[in-house]
Amino acid sequence: MKIVMFTPVLKASAIGRMARLVTCELMRLGHDVLVVRSEEGDLLSQEAHDFGLAPIAWNDHAAVTTATAKADLIIYQVGDNTSFHRGCLEWLPHCPGIVCLHDFYLGHLFNGWAAHHRAEAELILRHWYGSSVAESFFELATSAMFMERTWEAAPMTEWICAMATAVITHSSWGIGRLQRACAGPVRVVPLAYDRGSVDIGQERHGGDDGEGMLNILTVGYVNANKRAASVIRAIGSSHLLRDRVVYRLAGPIKNTIVHELAALARNCKVRLRVMGEVDEAELSRAFQQADIVCCLRWPSLEAASASAIEAMLYGKAIVVTDTGFYRELPNAFVTKVVAEDEAATLRSALERLGTDRALRNVLGELSRDWAAETFTAQNYVEEIVSMANTSARIRPVLEATAYFRRVMASWGNVDVGIDPASDPRAMFLNIASADGAGPAA
Amino acid sequence: MRIALCSTYVPFINGGARNIVEWLQAMLEKEGHQVERIYLPQWDAPDILFQQMAAFRWIDLSAADRVICFRPQAHLIQHPNKILWFIHHIRAFYDLWDSEYRGFPDDIRHRGVRDALIAADDAALNEAQRTFTNSKVVSSRLKQFNGVYSEVLYPPVLAPERFHCRRFNDEIVCICRMEHHKRQHLLIDAMKYTGTPVRLRLCGRSSGPGYTQQLTDAIRDNALDERVILEDRWISEEEKVDLLADCLAAAYLPLDEDSYGYPSIEASHACKAILTTVDSGGVLELVEDGVNGFVTEPDPRSLAAAMDALYLDRDRTRSMGEAAQARLAELNISWSHVLRRLLA
Amino acid sequence: MKVLVVNNMAPFVWGGAEELAVHLQRNLILAGHESEVLRIPFQWEPATRIPSQMLMVRALELFNVDRVIALKFPAYLIRQPHKTLWLLHQYRQAYDLFDAGQTNLPAGEEGEDLRRLIRHADDESFRESRNIFTNSDITRTRLARYNGFDAKVLLPPINDPERFTGGPAEGYIFAGGRINDMKRQHLLLEAMCHADKEVRLLIAGPPDNPVDALRLVESVERLGLGERVRLDLRFLPRETYARYVNRAVAVAYLPFDEDSLGYVTMEAATAGKALITAADSGGVLGLVHDKATGLVAKPEAASLGEAMSTLWQDRSLANAYGLAVREHWMSLGVSWPATVEALLQ
Repeated sequence: MKIVMFTPVLKASAIGRMARLVTCELMRLGHDVLVVRSEEGDLLSQEAHDFGLAPIAWNDHAAVTTATAKADLIIYQVGDNTSFHRGCLEWLPHCPGIVCLHDFYLGHLFNGWAAHHRAEAELILRHWYGSSVAESFFELATSAMFMERTWEAAPMTEWICAMATAVITHSSWGIGRLQRACAGPVRVVPLAYDRGSVDIGQERHGGDDGEGMLNILTVGYVNANKRAASVIRAIGSSHLLRDRVVYRLAGPIKNTIVHELAALARNCKVRLRVMGEVDEAELSRAFQQADIVCCLRWPSLEAASASAIEAMLYGKAIVVTDTGFYRELPNAFVTKVVAEDEAATLRSALERLGTDRALRNVLGELSRDWAAETFTAQNYVEEIVSMANTSARIRPVLEATAYFRRVMASWGNVDVGIDPASDPRAMFLNIASADGAGPAA
Repeated sequence: MRIALCSTYVPFINGGARNIVEWLQAMLEKEGHQVERIYLPQWDAPDILFQQMAAFRWIDLSAADRVICFRPQAHLIQHPNKILWFIHHIRAFYDLWDSEYRGFPDDIRHRGVRDALIAADDAALNEAQRTFTNSKVVSSRLKQFNGVYSEVLYPPVLAPERFHCRRFNDEIVCICRMEHHKRQHLLIDAMKYTGTPVRLRLCGRSSGPGYTQQLTDAIRDNALDERVILEDRWISEEEKVDLLADCLAAAYLPLDEDSYGYPSIEASHACKAILTTVDSGGVLELVEDGVNGFVTEPDPRSLAAAMDALYLDRDRTRSMGEAAQARLAELNISWSHVLRRLLA
Repeated sequence: MKVLVVNNMAPFVWGGAEELAVHLQRNLILAGHESEVLRIPFQWEPATRIPSQMLMVRALELFNVDRVIALKFPAYLIRQPHKTLWLLHQYRQAYDLFDAGQTNLPAGEEGEDLRRLIRHADDESFRESRNIFTNSDITRTRLARYNGFDAKVLLPPINDPERFTGGPAEGYIFAGGRINDMKRQHLLLEAMCHADKEVRLLIAGPPDNPVDALRLVESVERLGLGERVRLDLRFLPRETYARYVNRAVAVAYLPFDEDSLGYVTMEAATAGKALITAADSGGVLGLVHDKATGLVAKPEAASLGEAMSTLWQDRSLANAYGLAVREHWMSLGVSWPATVEALLQ
């Protein structure tokens, strides 16, 4: 197959790392792949992941037009970041293809795009979420609580999915909304993860800080939904844990949050180590040294969590919130915390794991083996390829939709959608249904 | 009743697809119905297929009590009382997919367009109250590709009583568009091998000059000018009636055509035997070898033998002509039958 | 050349625009071209459906066509590289009728948005057209006022001028054309009560609906005009209609604020018949110049009665007006060959 893949490729993008894996696997299977890098213009010169081929830039209009016209399959890697995914937004409406959805919530992506498409953006908001949301959205976008206050009413997921011939998501979180918006099938496929980057050293049982202490770790951009404060409170409230735990936070963090968490830890008498942004080697060491990795989220808005997958690949016992992507991890070896009863369930989970080294080892090994089999590029590519025919079948309908959207735009983009029943996707509804839409078994 | 007749066309191209609509219109109006005819342009290029199809979904014909749809994609029109007189698919995506007529690559992208088209057609076909076709071939394709049952309703010609038999001269006439797939060239080739003074007359217009030139050259190169007449024009209905009244027999050998074709029906009304070939498709629903005409192999010598036979055995030629007329009644090819079924 | 005439279709309705399209086609063929009429169904109720009807036109693909001559909204939105408009109608409910409060567009923001969409689409179509003609000065003025596009007026010629030879008067004033309130045949009946007793009137033409016919029949009876007025209320064969015109003393036609010169007046002018009309008849006044080519009365029974009497009594004056109106009409040079030539420039 001739495949065109729109993705960020720069080193800073985790999605780019995943797309590299998928691209390499596609090429290994003999497909003819062209990568279109989707970063904003000023990022196009940044160092890229090694795709084994030279990507073209999304703003090379002639080259992209030629490639997409000949393509059997077009794939877009979409995440909640306008700088990284600009090219996807530029081309998806005209060249519909499969969207690999890395974030359920796409409010930041949309807000960034809307900066240059305000009128159209308001129509889109109104179309999907009604006028009161449309009126408040951009005001909320300036607030610190933007995501918290829009993720439910206006996650913008529908906006992207409606332009896709098919959607691959990495958990069944919010899948109903995806299915309602996408004319084609929506499938849950485990994220492809780069096992090679996990440096499995000797000290996989952690506990090596020389003090016989228990190491608990949380990785990623530290904000409220990562629940670091909850972990601190749980440790502090447990006489079994309080005196023998070191809690580490690895990832970018704002100063204000450092101070808040430090104060909290002091009050709770918890040893907190804020590591800040770390490089790959440090991160690897942090994972290796950990006894328990806490991957809590509330609310949970990612399609999948790279840090949870990585922790499992390091053979660590992980604690997650029983929601979204995390809920779908096997109960047999992933410990789950109930969001509504977070304090109690989190403390008992940490106590159970913290006091039983053998249990931690068993769960870690089970996690590692399962993750290594599940989050593979082979599996991911198999699923993509199997959707090619369905995607091709949805494509003409979406291209017609795109044509009419362009005509309406040429007529001034005023606020008259064609009534919903007149949307080509509604008129040719049955085209997708021949192939069972919905998550793969 | 207010009846809307919906079909598609390419502007300035005339063909059988317009006749079936316009003749039905005349018959319905004669019966006192109010008829509106809707022709919209349709172009079969894969990239713009669906935007045109959307247009058909948007047409509002609620003013009509009943709509009758003919050429694709007219069947996509939405109406609570939709009757189809389905005359063909967009064939490049159906039965001609595996042929040189497809005109675009057999790749995932175009297979996607095909699958989408078939799904959209399935749905539109199923919306219809009743589905008729113009031939068994088309009915079996509907069954095969769309799983839709249909009834064959053979289209009659306009005012068939015009046609009559006056005599039998020495001329076999072929009156249809002059196109390669109608195979006038095969008839000219056959004339090289005839052993009798049988004559051939080809009448019809071509969409381009190439094929007509090829025929003209073939006639000249084989010194057939004396026995073959080529009239490169759209002859009038009156001329056609006269030619059929006087001819020896009629020839019509399209390549694998869907329907029996008006030329063979007109010849039958004029009590003339029909010469065709085993690969002419729908024509074979009408013509039976040795009964109401000859069905030969599609090669010049076989055709020549049949032409000689038509010339030599006049009694048999005459009786096959009579059988041709009788065959029309046998197949229920009449306007009264058509109106009864379409308005049921 | 292959010239496609593109027009709207309101299914099962046939009117002046449909006739015009057919005659244009016929005359294109007479001028040596190939021509067909494409009629695109248009449903404007409910108004929320208008966008999809516009898109539908934009979705159609024209191949094998050298020229398009488009007549109405939204048919003129059709895509073709060489498109000429002969504008009979924009969507008036988004323009002058909207301003006059006679619109089917929804009130408020929604209606304003639809109106903007229509105007934008129109503007785009006007820009992409090679030439724009209108059928009357009023259509031209509207186009300039609302969309800012210049156009030339190209009056629709009459379709069978050879029938309107004129001839000796046979003792009636003729009122032809469609019968309805806007054409005000009832006002002519009232005028008859003010006119000289000798004046005779013939009203002939197809009523829009039975009520329009009944109203005239009853008025004749009520006003006791049975002896002086003849009603022939039906769709007339062209021959009959032409005979009525050719044998008339004068022709009366008083539509309310008509856009165009009016076929009735153009045909009467061809036949050299003096015209009677009303001061508020709109485009008709382009042919009827008071006391030169006919008489322009006030739209009142007494004034109209007086005009009828004047022409009835002074036949030489009627003849003189008749000759003058024919001369004026001929000087406009409105004929099918000239029209076809202009449209194909």
